[in-house]
Amino acid sequence: MQHTPSSPPLRRHFRQTRDRLATALITAGGIGVIAAVMAIGVFLAVEVVPLFWSSTDTPRINLETLWLPQDYEGHRTPVHRWQPAMPEEGGESRFGMLPLVWGTLEAAAWALVIAVPLALGAAAHSALFMSRRLRARLKPTLELMEAMPGVVVGFVAGLVLAPWLDVHLALGMTLLIILPPGLLLAGGLWARLGAGLRRRLPMGWAALWLLPWLLLLWGLSSWLAPLLEAWWFDGDLRAWLEVSLGLDYANRNAIIVGMAMGFAVMPSIYALAEDALSGVPKSLVEGAEALGATRWQTLWKVVLPAAGPGVLSAVMIGAGRAVGETMIVLMASGNTALMTASPLDGLRSMAASIAIELPEAAPGGTHYRLLLLAALLLFVFTFCVNTLAEVVRSRLRRRYHRMGGAS
Amino acid sequence: MPSVIRQRLWAALLVVASIVWASPVSAEEPVGTLGTVGSDTMAGLMLRWGERLARQHPGMRLQLQASGSASAPPALTAGTTLVGPMSRPMAEDEKAMFERRYGYPPRALVVARDALVVVVHRHNPLRSLSRPDLDAIFSDGRRCGAGDSIERWSSLIEGGIEGRIAPHGRNAVSGTHELFRREALCDGAFRPEVSEHPGSAAVVAAVASDPRAIGYAGLNHLTPGVHPVALRDADGALHRPEPAAVRRGDYPFARDLRLYVNLPPGESLPGGERAFVDLVLSPEGQSIVEELGFVALPREVLERQRRRLGLEALDS
Amino acid sequence: MTAPWRRSPKRAASGEGPWAWLAAGSVAASLALLALLLGLLAVRGLGHFWPADVAVVTLDDGRQLAGREVKEVPLSDGDGRERLYRTGNRDLDDAIWAWVDLDEIHEVDHPSGLVVLERRRWGEFIGRLEAIETESGERIVGESTWLALERRLTALAAHRDSIDVLRDQTIRPLVHRLEAGEATLGEREALAKAQARVHERQAAMPADTLVLETVDGRRLRQPLTEVVRALRPNAMGVTEKVVTWGRDVWRFLSEGPRAANTAGGVWPAIFGTILMVVLMSIFVTPFGVLAAVYLNEVAHQGRLTRWVRIGVRNLAGVPSIVYGVFGLGVFVYGIGGHLDDWFFASSLPSPTFGTGGLLWASLTLALLTLPVVIVATEEGLARIPESQREGALALGATRLEMLTRVVLPMATPAMLTGVILAVARAAGEVAPLMLVGVAKLAPQVPLDGEFPFLHLERKFMHLGYHIFDAAFHGGDVQAAMPLIYATALLLVLVILVLNLTAIFLRHHLRSRHGTLPKY
Repeated sequence: MQHTPSSPPLRRHFRQTRDRLATALITAGGIGVIAAVMAIGVFLAVEVVPLFWSSTDTPRINLETLWLPQDYEGHRTPVHRWQPAMPEEGGESRFGMLPLVWGTLEAAAWALVIAVPLALGAAAHSALFMSRRLRARLKPTLELMEAMPGVVVGFVAGLVLAPWLDVHLALGMTLLIILPPGLLLAGGLWARLGAGLRRRLPMGWAALWLLPWLLLLWGLSSWLAPLLEAWWFDGDLRAWLEVSLGLDYANRNAIIVGMAMGFAVMPSIYALAEDALSGVPKSLVEGAEALGATRWQTLWKVVLPAAGPGVLSAVMIGAGRAVGETMIVLMASGNTALMTASPLDGLRSMAASIAIELPEAAPGGTHYRLLLLAALLLFVFTFCVNTLAEVVRSRLRRRYHRMGGAS
Repeated sequence: MPSVIRQRLWAALLVVASIVWASPVSAEEPVGTLGTVGSDTMAGLMLRWGERLARQHPGMRLQLQASGSASAPPALTAGTTLVGPMSRPMAEDEKAMFERRYGYPPRALVVARDALVVVVHRHNPLRSLSRPDLDAIFSDGRRCGAGDSIERWSSLIEGGIEGRIAPHGRNAVSGTHELFRREALCDGAFRPEVSEHPGSAAVVAAVASDPRAIGYAGLNHLTPGVHPVALRDADGALHRPEPAAVRRGDYPFARDLRLYVNLPPGESLPGGERAFVDLVLSPEGQSIVEELGFVALPREVLERQRRRLGLEALDS
Repeated sequence: MTAPWRRSPKRAASGEGPWAWLAAGSVAASLALLALLLGLLAVRGLGHFWPADVAVVTLDDGRQLAGREVKEVPLSDGDGRERLYRTGNRDLDDAIWAWVDLDEIHEVDHPSGLVVLERRRWGEFIGRLEAIETESGERIVGESTWLALERRLTALAAHRDSIDVLRDQTIRPLVHRLEAGEATLGEREALAKAQARVHERQAAMPADTLVLETVDGRRLRQPLTEVVRALRPNAMGVTEKVVTWGRDVWRFLSEGPRAANTAGGVWPAIFGTILMVVLMSIFVTPFGVLAAVYLNEVAHQGRLTRWVRIGVRNLAGVPSIVYGVFGLGVFVYGIGGHLDDWFFASSLPSPTFGTGGLLWASLTLALLTLPVVIVATEEGLARIPESQREGALALGATRLEMLTRVVLPMATPAMLTGVILAVARAAGEVAPLMLVGVAKLAPQVPLDGEFPFLHLERKFMHLGYHIFDAAFHGGDVQAAMPLIYATALLLVLVILVLNLTAIFLRHHLRSRHGTLPKY
């Protein structure tokens, strides 16, 4: 099939050589690019290794000093401390990495606590109930939400939301209490509406016509909040938290980080989960509906078990993003390397530490390598989680395929 | 043969060029680009001085690279700049590096003063703190002699404010953090509860929004949202963080902001640098210092430094 | 991808139970959050440029102050509220803010005679214009003072413009030649003459003095040459305000920052962001396409390729800060350090390429966005029917010809989508840039008239980092807030536009490929 009688043999030869050359070039280039990208992990590993076997000149570094509590000046019991940048005359540097890992995971956990219910609820609604026209608009809108730069979200969280919550803590809490029953109330009222009005406010567009309802609930909360604070919390929620729960409210805390980062990771979880839910083969769904299940029952009993792995992988990818997010944590967390379980305390994440400390750390020094170790941990964690998620997803795709789905 | 001619031509050109270069056109009016490398605390100051300089001498331009005090000594040593702003004194090894290359130490010019101020929320009744108490609030090891950590307002003052103290400070790699650690913490370590902010302005903003907060920041970042706290000596004498006290040298957490210049002994500065230093050490330059919230130098310090550089005396 | 069961509208949703409503609520809540964020940015960001009225506040004890209301918060002890005014007059009051307890306010008034002067030193002045003292000792008072001031400011602006022109177009090039040792005697004379002319112009500026008075009666003598702009916001009509607003928005977009990033515009940051992103696309496009073509067209489609593909996809999920670390370690310290040793040894130990700069930043971001481009291009390649390739080969094309003439042209929209998505992602990334070359202040843009025109080693400003810097490093966060809002709004708009373009392209692409004949 290569043979074309019109071209002379020399020219054909030239074309074939050129083709082989180009193929070789593409192969080399492609492999090169992929190798360069993959080199990240290798580079980090190579840079981190000297930390453990050339520790003669530097302060003692081994697995123990990194991960176990140590005896430090001024403390009777061993504690974890991350204070790596002490000058020599100023006393020992402290390299307990555990507070950073803790902070990273705590921030990610709170982000998921906020994002997962929102994202999965949104995915279920848009896969099951939403009108097609609205859905076609909603998906790109939420994609835009995903593209919101971290520095903007971090700024709003750290300099707008944190001071606001500082003053309006009770309102925030009231909102949290009132929103779910308020939405259920909306459902109840809707079921009692006349058929005409119900047609005017179809379930498929609930996402839009619920917006004024949310505004109403907001108004209700801001009216209720001072009353609630007076009845239950002796007029001062912060004091009450301190006295009866022993929780101190730090001005920048894990909840604020969680809210901001939840906002940032929610769209990606939503997009993947929605894909998984709406990719379930229609034979399954139709079967369930034919047996008289409501749509919610179909979702719960049929769709979710089938799409479960896909939803799980969506959550995992969200977790990967939350662990590595830098600017939001840096700007909203207070950067205190604490190890407390209280969601009202500050925290410090590995990514934020790298961002502010690495430019000033001397290349090749202990501090530098420790921060690279943090980067390596981030890399390995996200890579593993993402690979797992990807494998789960590709399994799922094949399963749908076998079941004859339209995915 | 043509190559010889070309060589001669080049040589001649070079000679002409060097004559042109060395000729005293700058005696009347300095021109050129003044490159400076150094402190980012002083970046605003340098920029404003540069703007002024460009207005006085239209042919002058200031080129600023503000990547931290540590970048000034290498640049001075390498000769890429003749003026290096630093917010801390040059360390011995940095000086030695410079001396090895040039045979004389770099000349330090104090151009402004800065101070660290302990601040609380504007409605916080705290007005003064003893040094050990300050250490007990911020430090992990309490090297300055306090017995226990102070974590609650109730153990510091009576009434007016309740709850846990929320300490705020700068991040570990900053000069501000270092100065406060050395002076206020007796070289100790910070408690992990101290929020680390990437900038002084952020510390002030955080303190201004939380009545239970306490923090430290540069004098030039003070706003009416926060209240400065005076320091109490063991004998009860108060040190208020006021510009006058800082100027007198009475306030403990103060630092000089310096320009380091590469100036061989006995010589005077070249035109551009001379014009710049002349501006900086003039009342006009010092009023820019005040405008940016730093502390201007007393007149006699200005005069003394001007005399040593061979600049004409200030007219009164 | 459309779920089939949604095509059964006859089923009433009333019996769905409580969970359905919570699910609907979560969509609504997400939309509300997004709207809230965008609304906040838009209102605060654009509102900053509005010349709001200035209030004169009289307190119960008779003190008076003038300023613009900024915000109101409840007092920390729970009773009452306090209000923050931006009062300007830093040279008189030592601060530009004043907190006022609402209970202490006796009266708030908006007299139309108040002026707001924007000055080169000490920021704003808010107060009354009493008189203008001219050089000749003449004193202008009364109604005509304001008009006289406006006239003088216009003349002053013309003077400044002419000096700037002289400086930029005559003096700078001459100084440059002088510094390079190339200036002829004639040019040196021209330089001296130009300098003299600048001084002449400066001397010719109206040396009038404004006599100002604050609302509480303190007098101030202000040299006119330091005044940049004067407004009487309380006396302005709506049209006039809109015009001023538009002019201020333009100034924000076209000017450089002033007063340590807390005032002025963001032009260098816009420029730096765009330049960096353009360089990044130049790096990322060929390599991304190359890798995608290799993976999809050349490589043997076996288990290994599948794993590589998953790996590449996953790299899109690796935190951006990790790429920053890689960029710092490999590009800056590794390659940059060696480049310095080889080519810029004369300026060591101060680094040329061995420190963060434009080149390393765009390379790092290219690496960061490589997976995005690869994945998008691969999707495009996979969507091209096999018949097209087979047809080309059957007609005697070699593989290269098949790729360049048939496959790649068909995949162009996909590549474009990938690159735009990459650009949108890169424009919003800040964390890696903090490690590899962004600067808080880079008055010199990396592109200028000096050889070699594009200075890859220079540090640059970036919109995202500008937000971070102004929010944390500036002199006064409160003063910088409006500018941060405006910058954030600008960044979000840029990214929105880029993403919308990508979405549109992708949509367009899908519909086009939908019409391809299938055999």
